[in-house]
Amino acid sequence: MKDRLAAALQTSRADYTEIRVEHTWSSAVSFRGARLESATAGEDRGGFVRALHDGCGWGIAAFTSLDELPAMVRRATELSRAVRLDRPIRLAPVAPVTAEALLDLDGDVRGVPLAEKKRLLEGYNGEMLAVPGVVDTQAVYRDEVTEYWFTNSEGTSLHELRPEITLSGTAIARRNGTIEKGLESIGLRQGWRGAQQQAAGFGAAARRAAALLDAPSVKGGAYPVVLDNELAGVFIHEAFGHLSEADFVYENPQAREMMTLGRRFGRAVLNVGDNGAAPGLRGTLPYDDEGTPTQDTPLIREGILVGRLHSRETAATLGERPTGNARAISFRHAPIVRMTNTYIANGTGTFADLIRDIKLGVYACSAFGGQTLLENFSFTAAYGHMIRDGAVAELVKDVVLAGSLFQTLDRIERLAGDFRWNQMGGGCGKGGQFPLPVTEGAPHVRIEQALIGGDVPA
Amino acid sequence: MIERAIELVRARAATGDALWRRAERTSVTFESGRLKSCAATEETGVNLRVLVDGRMGVAGTTADDADDLVARAVASAALGELVPITFPGTAPLPDISTFSSPAADAPLERLTAIGTELVSRVSREGCQVSVTIEREVAQTRVVNTAGTDAGYRTSTVVVGIDLSRFAGDDVLFVSDQYAGAGLPVAADLDALVRSIDDRYTPAVRVVTPPEGSLTVVFTPSGLSAILLPLEQALSGKTVLQGISPLGAKTGERVFDERFSLYDDPLVPGHPASRPCDDEGTPSRRLPLIERGVVRGFVYDLETAARAQAASTGHGARGTFGKPHIAYSSLIVGKREAGRGTGGFGGGLLHGITDGLLIDDLIGVGQGNVIGGAFSHPVALAYRVERGAITGRVKEAAVAGNVYDLLGRIGDFGTDGRWLGNRWTASLLLEGVSVARR
Repeated sequence: MKDRLAAALQTSRADYTEIRVEHTWSSAVSFRGARLESATAGEDRGGFVRALHDGCGWGIAAFTSLDELPAMVRRATELSRAVRLDRPIRLAPVAPVTAEALLDLDGDVRGVPLAEKKRLLEGYNGEMLAVPGVVDTQAVYRDEVTEYWFTNSEGTSLHELRPEITLSGTAIARRNGTIEKGLESIGLRQGWRGAQQQAAGFGAAARRAAALLDAPSVKGGAYPVVLDNELAGVFIHEAFGHLSEADFVYENPQAREMMTLGRRFGRAVLNVGDNGAAPGLRGTLPYDDEGTPTQDTPLIREGILVGRLHSRETAATLGERPTGNARAISFRHAPIVRMTNTYIANGTGTFADLIRDIKLGVYACSAFGGQTLLENFSFTAAYGHMIRDGAVAELVKDVVLAGSLFQTLDRIERLAGDFRWNQMGGGCGKGGQFPLPVTEGAPHVRIEQALIGGDVPA
Repeated sequence: MIERAIELVRARAATGDALWRRAERTSVTFESGRLKSCAATEETGVNLRVLVDGRMGVAGTTADDADDLVARAVASAALGELVPITFPGTAPLPDISTFSSPAADAPLERLTAIGTELVSRVSREGCQVSVTIEREVAQTRVVNTAGTDAGYRTSTVVVGIDLSRFAGDDVLFVSDQYAGAGLPVAADLDALVRSIDDRYTPAVRVVTPPEGSLTVVFTPSGLSAILLPLEQALSGKTVLQGISPLGAKTGERVFDERFSLYDDPLVPGHPASRPCDDEGTPSRRLPLIERGVVRGFVYDLETAARAQAASTGHGARGTFGKPHIAYSSLIVGKREAGRGTGGFGGGLLHGITDGLLIDDLIGVGQGNVIGGAFSHPVALAYRVERGAITGRVKEAAVAGNVYDLLGRIGDFGTDGRWLGNRWTASLLLEGVSVARR
């Protein structure tokens, strides 16, 4: 394959050309209730060519017919020439690299019979079905192994092998008209061994769904709010991480002003970063999809904005250095600026210390979902507890956290010393590319005051 | 490839069906007002489902290997559940236009010219404009062991436009899109430009939101939060699973008697239209709610077989995974040709003393959608006072239950239009809870 890519590259007349080829073997098993929905295996392969002529725009060709590689190189270079630019696209320099990065497959899923994958998931699904009050479940197992080649006209040549495995469970509990759900989600850059011994989380999610049937809705209002590790991670990814992606600001002077390096975003306790090189995480890869090595990029240091995430193009436009954050979900797409493993750095002390002096507050846990629209966000916690007189009290539901990013970041007042990466499934969506494997990490985070919606009074 | 796969299935004395689709997409992207990239993508894939001894198996591939595909589908069936699917035999398909040669043959320059025109018409001081134009030409074939061999061509053109303005920490974001089988005509582009203008101009001024139980007008795009619970409740799968609030209510009046909802895959020239679904079931217009009464649910072959119902022609499938239920085009009320004339707000604002006009909400689809309760902060909304928009509101959240709200609709707007695969006018709803942050 390497020789074929090199030969195709030779035919390009563009000033810069890159070719990416991917071959993915995947399998998936899903249950709905006690019934198997499907157990299936797929094979996906295709290529992507991107070309750039000086003074022209990007020309892109993506295709499933690998026999036509030279024709696709021609097509991409023609498309590039069709776009004339007065301000040319520049790429920040990245040293050429040749690498074989064959990640440990940790029990190659391709060698495991589908029947065994079904048996594993049936067990996890059974953990949920066994919980009284649970009337319906969904359980999904997915795995894939991708063989990956990248080469560009500057001399970079990469060959990688990447495993991935995700497990998810939804338990629906119902009593009369009340329906509640509990969620478990696991995503690992590992193989078959990573999928073992995960039953406990499925059972816990189902018990939580059943417990929520008896829980009152949280009373809407402004409270001191403590986010658990998972929700704090989702929060920093959704509410802040996307604004730190440089493609959001690089062509937009007003947005750039909003995100000026040196601006204060929070108090001195707040440190935020994105680390694509952190060992063993789902968002981790040695190189991004432009061949740039991944790295740990500080974004907020002691409350001050100090960095952002880049592709080669955004880095060149802003006169900064590429950070290894140009990623594509598959050969069907161009790399765009994305997060990898985004985190709020650790604080000090315990969770008990964090809540000790809260008289009345909300402990918001885990996430059903979250959306941000630039400076506004809304997160739905999977469940919550009231905090009363410094201790965790009753379970509450319908905990929706909404607010303005700038206000909320600025109100983060304390962080516990219990940092954890959340190895969740699902993924990040942007520009029609979903799901991109990412990870989030955080300690417990205390917000001085935040608006909790939920039971909005009529 | 697809014939060979079906032949191999027959040779094993099994039954099955397959979808073959080849799509070629051309797109041009204008970023912050300038053309930045052109892309061409080509994708061919086959999705195969087999029933071996009554057990279902599925496999998909983008590689050109029928033997491997069938082997994997059969392996999947070895684990599969017993499903009594009957594949549809040959049947006459409705004649429906899904393809426009001028759109399919339009050169790159033609697509680029649309973007250049829109950028120049929408640009304004202090704002960034991004435009994407995407043209897809696809061929679809559905073949099964019962003799069905249906094929059709589609063309789809989507023009998306985004306008953003940053002023300090205030971000204003306005967008709209055109979608059709053909290229947009001058009136379509005029409507896009007007739509952006209608949303942008009154949004520049930020005002305090009102509070309480109020009259709220939801625009066609603002209605997503209101219609999503219904879309879930009207899926045959949700009914089969026993979690649809409408499951046992066929024939009952649940909604305002002026409220009707149809699924219509036979709208000429609309991107979601097709002569048959991805399982070969002929397309037909399906009443879901008529004059407030629940009439039916959407089914694909598998869900229909399990529920002892008939497929309504709502099976959709990609290259990977098994076929699933999907709507084609959802029509709220009675569809008229072209865009309505009501303007922004659909002519519904004049009687409002103090209320909201909602165009976009944050977090739609999160949480417990199917129960019908919703609670969302606004993304783009306007205060309406004494019959007119007075400015944009930011720090507000709306909540309610769609089954209550659609039980007594205040009024229907005259601004009916397509938005993606949904046609609706604005709706005026009374008693929506509005909270101020």
